[in-house]
Amino acid sequence: MIISGQYNIGHICTRQQCDKGLADKVAFRWLPASGETSAITFSDLDRHSNRFANALANLGFAPGEILFTFLPKCPEQFFAFLGTLKRQVICGTLFSNFGDEALLDRLGDSKAKGIVTKKSFLKKLGRIRDQLPHLKYILVTDIGSHQSAEVLSYPVLMSEASSEFTTPLTSPDTPSVLHYTSGSTGKPKGVLHVHGSILMQYATAREVLRLGPDEVYWCTADQGWVTGTSYGIIGPWSLGVTQIHYGGMYDAAKWFDILQNEKVTIWYSAPTALRMLMREESSLYKSYDLSHLKHIFCVGEPLNPEVIQWSRTVLKQEIYDTWFQTETGAIMIANRPGLEVRPGSMGKPVATIEPAILADDGAPVPDGEQGNLCLKPGWPSMFATYLNKETAYRQKFSKGHYFTGDTAVKDHEGYYWFKGRSDDVINTGGHLISPFEVESALLELEEVAESGAIGVPDELLFEKVVAFVHLHAGYSASKELEIKLRLHISNRVSSIATPQELFFVDKVPKNKSGKIMRRVLKARYLGQDEGDISTLED
Amino acid sequence: MGVIEPLTKIFREVFDDEDITLSGEMTADDVDGWDSLSHVNLIVTIETRFNIKFTQKELLTFRNVGDLMDSIQSKLPS
Repeated sequence: MIISGQYNIGHICTRQQCDKGLADKVAFRWLPASGETSAITFSDLDRHSNRFANALANLGFAPGEILFTFLPKCPEQFFAFLGTLKRQVICGTLFSNFGDEALLDRLGDSKAKGIVTKKSFLKKLGRIRDQLPHLKYILVTDIGSHQSAEVLSYPVLMSEASSEFTTPLTSPDTPSVLHYTSGSTGKPKGVLHVHGSILMQYATAREVLRLGPDEVYWCTADQGWVTGTSYGIIGPWSLGVTQIHYGGMYDAAKWFDILQNEKVTIWYSAPTALRMLMREESSLYKSYDLSHLKHIFCVGEPLNPEVIQWSRTVLKQEIYDTWFQTETGAIMIANRPGLEVRPGSMGKPVATIEPAILADDGAPVPDGEQGNLCLKPGWPSMFATYLNKETAYRQKFSKGHYFTGDTAVKDHEGYYWFKGRSDDVINTGGHLISPFEVESALLELEEVAESGAIGVPDELLFEKVVAFVHLHAGYSASKELEIKLRLHISNRVSSIATPQELFFVDKVPKNKSGKIMRRVLKARYLGQDEGDISTLED
Repeated sequence: MGVIEPLTKIFREVFDDEDITLSGEMTADDVDGWDSLSHVNLIVTIETRFNIKFTQKELLTFRNVGDLMDSIQSKLPS
């Protein structure tokens, strides 16, 4: 796959496919939520991304600088992403439902020079603009003329830029993609990847997802998350595979229309989406012809055995659950065709990956016992650092292993079984939410004296966010105040961080040094023993 | 009481967008940020402000804003 030492992701996914004779092959069929479907060939993808690379060059973007996309799923997302990488500018992607606080954290920490967005998102950016001194350019996909020296029309820039671009020779350790991920304390961390990651994304797309030249592939993930870039862009296009990209929301009938009418052969989705489909009337599926569909894969949070059984019965398909993280950049452990599926298991490691179950001190844990899920470093898509947080990066490695933050069990036959997180991070619908971000957003409101947020098991989302709020004297709980708190989190952080349940309490339990005891909150919510509470403040 | 005016105010508040103008044909695909989780915020806010309750079955039948408005209207005192 690597030709003459060229590791550039943008080049390999476009020009190199054209050079292989795929210029006229459809790279993706674009299905907007409403309106006409269109087909974009690899030649189109190459020319559009070249124009974007030239537009960035014309604006003075230098290799190593950072540009974000902040867009819903749309063709411009792909052109900008690939063009940015061709220019050797680092491309960060932002989930389009992020609120202004989440945007500020990410754009501010990364000192991003530019952002590509749409007109209706300018309001969010406007509220934080004065706190982003490094942000020089806002490229807007749906305005027909430049608004100012910094708010520029994407269509105008593209029309003025050449469609010819020679991608500079790019070494595997050149920074490429930036995704922010949440931890249980502090602000989100910028996970920086390198162009060499494409080796792993290519290999796993081929060997796990079974992508080949004749497949029609649909990955439902948003490009704001690592699955959306690793397997909604890089993996499939490095293999010259035709993708489906759909701009609408979840809708069971619409999704099945797409699977049938687009003759999708490989489908990569999320357990939450599959659980939502499972709740639909079973009669819905009977009218569809899914005979083209060969394999279903999913990723995000553990896939419960009930969904696997449902799919075997109703869809007549196996669902292969896969596991990876933002930091790993590519699938590390997976169920896949050819490997017997043990419902509820993560599967087995993919080729070249060496996991280990270790105790906190790094000692190996025997098979069948729970411990920290670790990986031996060195795989090509391993993150290069946490941007501006080198110490936090180094702390993820110990005793010759990367500690993933997940806990798991390896059984005697080599299958891995996810058990939970070793920290307080909440996995809701496949998205990691920091309780700290939820708590901080709540504390911004004058009514709130203390707040605590936890994740608790949920049938649909795997975990749901539950918040506990202690009000200042003079304020009282009400439905209207609950709405205010919910909307504040939704609009400042993200809709996915919004608590599904919110409780007004007399006190949020803390230890003697003032740390929120989320463990106690969780035990109380679940009606379990609170354990050792000797450190609880009086 | 007309439904569209207070409902527009709720949409603008929930989706943090003062420019939202409602129409009967509007769906989640037409409003930035209208996903399954913000939908919960929307429904909770509508139920509280209009002092009504939707059944689970009703929630599943809403195809667009027009259906939502009709349902709200039917629950308000005449």
